[in-house]
Amino acid sequence: MSEVLAARGLSLSFGGLRAVNDFSLSLGSSDLAGLIGPNGAGKTTVFNLLTGVYQPDAGSVLLDGKQVNGKKPSQIAAAGLARTFQNIRLFGELSVLDNVRTAAGVRTRSGLWRSLLRTPLYLAEERAVTERSLELLELLGIAHRREEQARSLPYGDQRRLEIARALATEPKVLLLDEPVAGMNSSEKVEMRGLIQTLRKQFDLAILLIEHDMGLVMDICEHITVLDHGMTIAAGKPAAIQSNPAVIEAYLGAPEDETTAESEAS
Amino acid sequence: MKTISERTRALHPGGLGSALRSAWPVVAGVVVALVLQSVLAPAVGPFAAKMVLDIGIAIVLAVSLNIVNGFAGQFSIGHAGFMMVGGYAAAIVTYYGSIKLWGSPEPHGGFLGSGDLLFLFACVLGGCVAALAGLVVGLPSLRLRGDYLAIVTLGFGEIMRVLAQRSKDVLYPEDVAGKSMWEVSDNLGGALGFSGLPSYVSPTPWNEDTGHAGIFFVYLIVAIVLISAYRLKLSSKGRALLAVRENEIAAEAMGINTSRVKVAAFVMAAFFAGVGGALFAHEFGNTLTPRELGFQKSIDIVIMVVLGGMGSISGAVVAAAALTLMPELFREFAEYRMIIYALALILVMILRPQGLFGIKELWETTAWRRIRARIVRGKEAP
Repeated sequence: MSEVLAARGLSLSFGGLRAVNDFSLSLGSSDLAGLIGPNGAGKTTVFNLLTGVYQPDAGSVLLDGKQVNGKKPSQIAAAGLARTFQNIRLFGELSVLDNVRTAAGVRTRSGLWRSLLRTPLYLAEERAVTERSLELLELLGIAHRREEQARSLPYGDQRRLEIARALATEPKVLLLDEPVAGMNSSEKVEMRGLIQTLRKQFDLAILLIEHDMGLVMDICEHITVLDHGMTIAAGKPAAIQSNPAVIEAYLGAPEDETTAESEAS
Repeated sequence: MKTISERTRALHPGGLGSALRSAWPVVAGVVVALVLQSVLAPAVGPFAAKMVLDIGIAIVLAVSLNIVNGFAGQFSIGHAGFMMVGGYAAAIVTYYGSIKLWGSPEPHGGFLGSGDLLFLFACVLGGCVAALAGLVVGLPSLRLRGDYLAIVTLGFGEIMRVLAQRSKDVLYPEDVAGKSMWEVSDNLGGALGFSGLPSYVSPTPWNEDTGHAGIFFVYLIVAIVLISAYRLKLSSKGRALLAVRENEIAAEAMGINTSRVKVAAFVMAAFFAGVGGALFAHEFGNTLTPRELGFQKSIDIVIMVVLGGMGSISGAVVAAAALTLMPELFREFAEYRMIIYALALILVMILRPQGLFGIKELWETTAWRRIRARIVRGKEAP
């Protein structure tokens, strides 16, 4: 199995705050890995480093063996790294279908002139984009809402649309930032099934940030735990569950219960 | 699931049919422009025909500004600056060019004769020079947004106005001899304006002395602008613009080069504004003065876009027509025009902040659908 995404020694500071310190990760094609940690541990910052929103102070990101840190987020997306956002960022005024079609546009070759002249290539590409976008909406179970404005969707469907949109860019690696946040238990079960389906169907490597331990322990084959920007543990779910450093990060040291409570809140 | 490129290949793009499908709206545009010129111009008389010209030019400007303000969501209030650049560039070609070619700045030749061709060339050139200016103004949009970008575009408009004001007097035909085009390019008439331009855009019907099919030219360009804007809006490139307006971070994460898209929007809008400026400069009864194309003009165009709905092409058309007609219909209240504009704008912002049609086109609005449904039902009823 070949490595599609690798992070080597990523570090980033915001002023005096070390948000991420020496973060490393390796993701093979169709791996499903998790990134967990308490609030403020730096998980989303890692996503932002991988996708080029932030530039690391040190370290490198390799996508399919090619270095991508230093490139713009759009170039990294074009190279095959897609993501969803923790605080949903849809194109609110556009229709559900157009949200997906917009993302699929990255795989088309027609430029402005072809679009204005409506050349045969452009027309074929637009049809291909629409076809594939509809299939993606079908797969995510929101095809019946394709004409609605994205911002009018219920919360769960907005999360699904974010995933459909990310898939439309034809990624090799998908980063999911809290895909089941705010969902009820039946929605969570659906989403779990969906993530596994996607991975099989698209031969995707998936890295997900999630606070729902049940989900993470259940579906991830490999878990990395962050706390205060440091990687405190990495390994198989069973090993993570019994790792004392992880338990301490989440629940505090057993001797000092008062600090544990204040940290957990 | 098949990828986009696999699907595209499977669709076997090609064929004469698609070329025809691509061309017919332009052909239709030409036909409409010809009909307007041959039927409307003689039917309504020169005064109303001048209004028709004004509306056409306003549509060109409003629809082009809509590309930046509406589609890409970058707030530009310097659109008249691009008009000015295009207008003056075209004016240099038609005025000094005509003198050099034919010894006089009067309109030359008949319909689509050498004079008309020179004028059309001047329009395209004006558009290109304005597009270059659009590139320069578009670059700050990469780092600035909202009010700050608006101030830059405002500054651009003012700089253009001051530059035009500082230019030297227009040379008479007899003084042009022996001077190169470059040497005369600063003789733009200063604050008094570039007077004596050939009125290729005249409201008169065919075949009269001054009649150079003004309505045809204006509506030919209206058609091109409308087709371009509409095709842009429905294409992947247009959706990329809308995505930038909706959420820049998400757009970038979906592989959209937001910097490029924003600059492209500015360049395209500036091109059409430059063409609009060239039409304006050669319109019968107008004098190309810096004051005419100042801040006030920019605001007029912004109001059309905001009123019509940011991102709605038909909205911009309706608003451009309405706001051009209004001052003429309420001539006796001319002094209160700006008060009425301001009130209308405030009311729209309170009652319908997304503008008349929002991002939708006229035929996509619920009101339109309801009316159509009623008509259809009415027909079915016995």
